[in-house]
Amino acid sequence: MKMKRVIGILLIAAAIALLAVTLSAEGMLDELLQGMDPQNLAAQDAKMLKARDRVLDSFAENDREKTLRNLDKYLENYEEVLTISSAARMEVFAYRRSPVLLAAAAFLLVLGAALIVQSLPGRQKLHQVSTYAILIAALYAGVYIAENLAGASSMLVMVLKKGVIYALIAVSMNLLNGFTGLFSLGQAGFMLVGAYTYAIFSIPVADRAQVYQYYAGGIVQFQLPVLVAILLGGIAAAFFAWLVGMPVLRLKSDYLAIATLGFAEIIRAVFQYDGFGPVTNGSNLLRRFPTFDTVLYPFAVVGVCILLIVLLIHSTYGRAFKAIRDDEVAAEAMGINLFQHKQQAFVISSFFAGIGGALLAMYQTTVQASAFKASMTYEILLIVVIGGMGSVSGSVLASFLFVASSEWWLRFLDSPMTIGSFQVPLLRSGFRMVVFSIVIMLVVLRYRQGIMGDRELNLGLFKPRRKQEEKHG
Amino acid sequence: MTDFISANLPYLLGGISVGGQYALISIGYTMVYGILRLINFAHGDIFTVAGFFMVYMSATMPLYISLPLTIVLTVALGFGVERVAYKPLRQAPRMSVMISAIGVSYLLQNLMWYVTGGLAKQYPTVPFISGTVTVYTATTKMVTLVTPILTFVLVLALVQLINHTKIGMAMRAVSKDFETAKLMGIKIDRVISVTFIIGSFLAAVGSILYFTNYTAVTPTVGAMPGLKAFVAAVFGGIGSIPGAVIGAFIIGISENIIKALGLTTFSDAFTFALLIFILIFKPSGLFGEDDNEKV
Repeated sequence: MKMKRVIGILLIAAAIALLAVTLSAEGMLDELLQGMDPQNLAAQDAKMLKARDRVLDSFAENDREKTLRNLDKYLENYEEVLTISSAARMEVFAYRRSPVLLAAAAFLLVLGAALIVQSLPGRQKLHQVSTYAILIAALYAGVYIAENLAGASSMLVMVLKKGVIYALIAVSMNLLNGFTGLFSLGQAGFMLVGAYTYAIFSIPVADRAQVYQYYAGGIVQFQLPVLVAILLGGIAAAFFAWLVGMPVLRLKSDYLAIATLGFAEIIRAVFQYDGFGPVTNGSNLLRRFPTFDTVLYPFAVVGVCILLIVLLIHSTYGRAFKAIRDDEVAAEAMGINLFQHKQQAFVISSFFAGIGGALLAMYQTTVQASAFKASMTYEILLIVVIGGMGSVSGSVLASFLFVASSEWWLRFLDSPMTIGSFQVPLLRSGFRMVVFSIVIMLVVLRYRQGIMGDRELNLGLFKPRRKQEEKHG
Repeated sequence: MTDFISANLPYLLGGISVGGQYALISIGYTMVYGILRLINFAHGDIFTVAGFFMVYMSATMPLYISLPLTIVLTVALGFGVERVAYKPLRQAPRMSVMISAIGVSYLLQNLMWYVTGGLAKQYPTVPFISGTVTVYTATTKMVTLVTPILTFVLVLALVQLINHTKIGMAMRAVSKDFETAKLMGIKIDRVISVTFIIGSFLAAVGSILYFTNYTAVTPTVGAMPGLKAFVAAVFGGIGSIPGAVIGAFIIGISENIIKALGLTTFSDAFTFALLIFILIFKPSGLFGEDDNEKV
């Protein structure tokens, strides 16, 4: 216990030191450069001064990438004349890697604080929360560091962005299909509503004339803040779900599937209808709305949403949903209002699907109704199945796996390959998806439980719930 | 009056023709649903694959070989899909089988994309039915007239098969009560295979007629007609063959009327609106039997 506290304090101290170094390097590039100036001022020719000014100019413009490029050039060209101390080297390094270092410092801070909390006696609940805090901090710091090391346009970052958005959508679908037992295939429709609502209300007013060029700038002439627009996307999707749910949720399993699929198609047709052009831009695409530039943004939004879904699943509502899934008649006999609970699950699931759709629009930077086809719903359904019906962590894992293998790991199958003089047959564009769908079929046929079944990911950090509690719960 | 007819006749003819094609596809849906209680999401893709079979085969073979071969291969595909993807799940929950069907659809679409490179292929012209004909004032392809006749003949033959042969009786028995039929010594797997074979055969014929009319085949082109044919099956009362045929004609004709009114965007949406309408007010469809849910 003591040990933990000491380590915690040390970690916090280290984090503060790291923060101090990084932040000092961040603001003082000009001083740093002056410190490097050669003793013999005569050596400072005009060219060198110009190079130095370039660094300082780009620094003043707050353009990190450009600054680093100029700084590299400056240091390389004039290495012999400059006096570069090891402290200066460290500061340059700190400046170059400052996002990574800041993330690492933040993680150490959380880790230290969590360890100190755990060293305090008692407070079981607090200990558990601190363990979660460590995991979450590690995840976010890791993602941020990965983004900065791999570069914002790398495959890894693309997969992380798309994967996390799909994770939200898959979890929202799992809430319906896995937890409430409603086989709904309308997810793409609700994503479309979310994506369009977000785009319509967040395009800057100045750009509207160009985006809505066939509809005289459209009729929406204001711009909402990004987060408000995302939220509105969710609310709009939830509203549509409420409307759709009233007739549809009275239907039984496969009729429900086909009816929700049908509604998704109707929504798609309505949004493409020329008559609504001034709002939806007809069948043309919407663009120029704000997007995110760091992977942390979707991670933060999705993290909050999934947390809310998990809390919901563990609430009395969640238990009612599961009761409906396991046996509708018995659930009704226990006094659960079937329609009301199904409606709740449907509306909540669609709300998060709408938010997922808004994030997807941000990821794609443009959005067009014709992309939200039934095949999109199928993809998400397959993710849910691979992850395991009724497992939130399974859906999240499967989303990343799905996106990573379809967009990245199996890419090599799409390009011809020769080993020695042997031309590997079959490899050409499209083969990746064939292999991929065969793997999915194997999962569907052989491992019907998916990765997680209906269990949740448990890293062995938490004690399993006591049997007693389960029985009473 | 004459003006009205000559203005709308092409749409009506188009509607009847496409209705007949939907009818041929929807029989496959309705029979499979009647027996397995499964929405065979892959059926629309089998229909598309049949189109590609024809495209590739007619490039190298004369028509009198490629045409029957297309039908044979499509039937083999339908049979194979059932054996590989649905048979192992006989004891599984219905949701799993439906997911498997969606998986097959995904696989077939990706496979078609791979083989074709995602490009639209020109459907070969089939002599006689590709020719043009003038009906009253409207000029149309021969296929427009052939489709309803052929559909009628095939449906008649199918109804005879179901009502007057041994395998037909077995099919009726299985669709009435799966378990009891099994106990009575009916070979369930055989009945199911025959169902898929008939469904795929009709889908292949439907595909030849449909693509002769629309000429371009792409990997996803079958998804929409597939879904519409399913709606037709539900509309007519799932499990009922005459229901499916009538439903298909109603959908095909209304769709073309909507196009004639200049609301093309909504022609697909209308089909689904119809579906939801019928599901709410008469879930068993026009000719379906009411089945009371047992607890």
